[in-house]
Amino acid sequence: MSINGYLIVAGIIFCIGMLGVLMRKNLIVIFMSLELMFNAANLGFVAVSNYLNLIDGDIFVIFVMVVAAAEAAIALGIAVAFYREKGTVDIDKAQELKL
Amino acid sequence: MLDISQVYNINFLEEGMLSVIPEAIVIIFAFIVLFLTFFEKLSKSDNPYYLSLISIGFSMLYILMLSGRTIDGFYGSIVFNRFSVFLFIGILFSGFLTILMSKNYIDNFEVPLPEYYSLILFGVASMMLLVSSNNLIMVFLSIEFMSITAYILTGYLKGNLRSTEAALKYFVLGTFASAFLIFGSVFIYAATGHLNLYNIHFFIVNIASKGLVNFGDIKIYLAIGLILFLVGLAFKMSLFPFHSWTPDAYDGAPTPVTNFMATGVKIAAFAIFLRIFSLIYNFNIMDFNNILWMLAILSMSFGNIAALMSSNIKRLLAYSSIAQAGYILVGIIGGGYYGYSGTLFYLLAYVFMTAGAFAVVIIFENFDLMSLDIKKYSGIGYKYPIVAAAMTFFLLSLAGIPVTSGFMGKFYVFSAAIKSRYNLLVLIAFINSAFAAFYYIKIIVRMYMPDKEELIASLNGVQRGGMSGGSDQGKPSGDFGIVNGKINEELMIVIFICLFFTLLMGIYPQLFINFAHNSISSLWNI
Repeated sequence: MSINGYLIVAGIIFCIGMLGVLMRKNLIVIFMSLELMFNAANLGFVAVSNYLNLIDGDIFVIFVMVVAAAEAAIALGIAVAFYREKGTVDIDKAQELKL
Repeated sequence: MLDISQVYNINFLEEGMLSVIPEAIVIIFAFIVLFLTFFEKLSKSDNPYYLSLISIGFSMLYILMLSGRTIDGFYGSIVFNRFSVFLFIGILFSGFLTILMSKNYIDNFEVPLPEYYSLILFGVASMMLLVSSNNLIMVFLSIEFMSITAYILTGYLKGNLRSTEAALKYFVLGTFASAFLIFGSVFIYAATGHLNLYNIHFFIVNIASKGLVNFGDIKIYLAIGLILFLVGLAFKMSLFPFHSWTPDAYDGAPTPVTNFMATGVKIAAFAIFLRIFSLIYNFNIMDFNNILWMLAILSMSFGNIAALMSSNIKRLLAYSSIAQAGYILVGIIGGGYYGYSGTLFYLLAYVFMTAGAFAVVIIFENFDLMSLDIKKYSGIGYKYPIVAAAMTFFLLSLAGIPVTSGFMGKFYVFSAAIKSRYNLLVLIAFINSAFAAFYYIKIIVRMYMPDKEELIASLNGVQRGGMSGGSDQGKPSGDFGIVNGKINEELMIVIFICLFFTLLMGIYPQLFINFAHNSISSLWNI
């Protein structure tokens, strides 16, 4: 059994998330894409950890999930604050800091 | 493999816990400050402010008490050694100066919340954890801890669109970078099977000595992992292609927080990069020095050109910090004992000169956006001679003129790179720093030799007019740092501390460079 397949799938998911962050305009979709990138890494960790018969990777995954939850809280807080002032979550409307 | 009797070893309680006491002191005080919110009387006065300063003092004392020792804690996840001591001192100074300069600013912007101080303390603790972490899990967790406190602090000005937008951009790009960091660690883990940095180091040294030929997959995984990890860290260090969040986040954030990001976050990110680079990058898996070479030159050139074009002082300092990151990277490329200790020296010098410059920015800031324009500095050499002289000194130090710490930092960093035969790199860095002097001196010239109209305007105190005329009606006018013609005391203390250290590091650098040499030698004492 090779580990390559798992890592390639994880890489594809990571790239989908990356493209989502770079191309989408809606803030909430961008946050979802960021979560997708984190979860691609989680998939990789679980696969590698199982393959090498070690436990460290699984522990890392739990920490990543906790951090992702904390970041989601911050992200939605910022999104709500932005919506209150702009009335939209379109990231193209964030033009205040150009000068 | 793991002996059960070792798990319950008494050493865990006695030795290991000692390694996190400096962080623990700061975190405990951060919680105390946070809980003060429940008691209206206690949180109304200056208690949170003084408590935060005291906590940093305690932490500093403890560090000086333990400074010679090397302590492994939490099964090698955290290492307290002289390397971390040096950076702890830089980080604690950064936090201390930030708290000092925050009080006046927070009072004026009418956000009298003790949470602010507690977040700064959490930020300090997270940076300290970051520079002493020795495990990829710990590195990831503390980078995230540091970033999350920075996101919140950036968006701290409630109802201020610029602040919210800065937090938004910082958050999206910062999390993007973290995803790269963690995806990189997947590949490093897949290649080596370890998360502990020392174990990864031994693994890589071992396979590098065997010639790397028979390790096809492992080598590819390691290369991918290290590149992704480098991208993640380069975002945090704001090197050129990954810098795009820096000017916006620095511009929109409250100015003391900008100072915190420019000094604390930057030196913590550079410190962990230095540690990881010296442990696992610096072997012939790939030629990483060439990649860093490009990054350094691009950061310097881009930062300097963009700084020349900008007229907003916070943006100018942000671009200049990108350029400074390039100079610091020259030391890491130079490598070895002297390159790394020069880098540490530069990082410490950078804390004081940047904090001083931001303290001066806070003095002349008010609700009007025009107060951040460099036109504002016209003629302050005559009205506030001490402040103007201090600002001149900090800007000359950033430009790298002799007798300042910035010059000595550049000297150590460049001479190490020359020693390792990176002549072209140092030549380009020299040209860049000559070029950079131009925009630093432009501000100094404005302070002492203003245009006639600007001088008259500033003496009459109608400077604030300009483009955004009546936008600040009903708000208190005048500069925040100045009450009845007198400059705020805390800001003056910050300026004097920074001035003292910038001068001391410039004229008596042996004291600090010896300390840096000592710290670096502990980096390889595994």
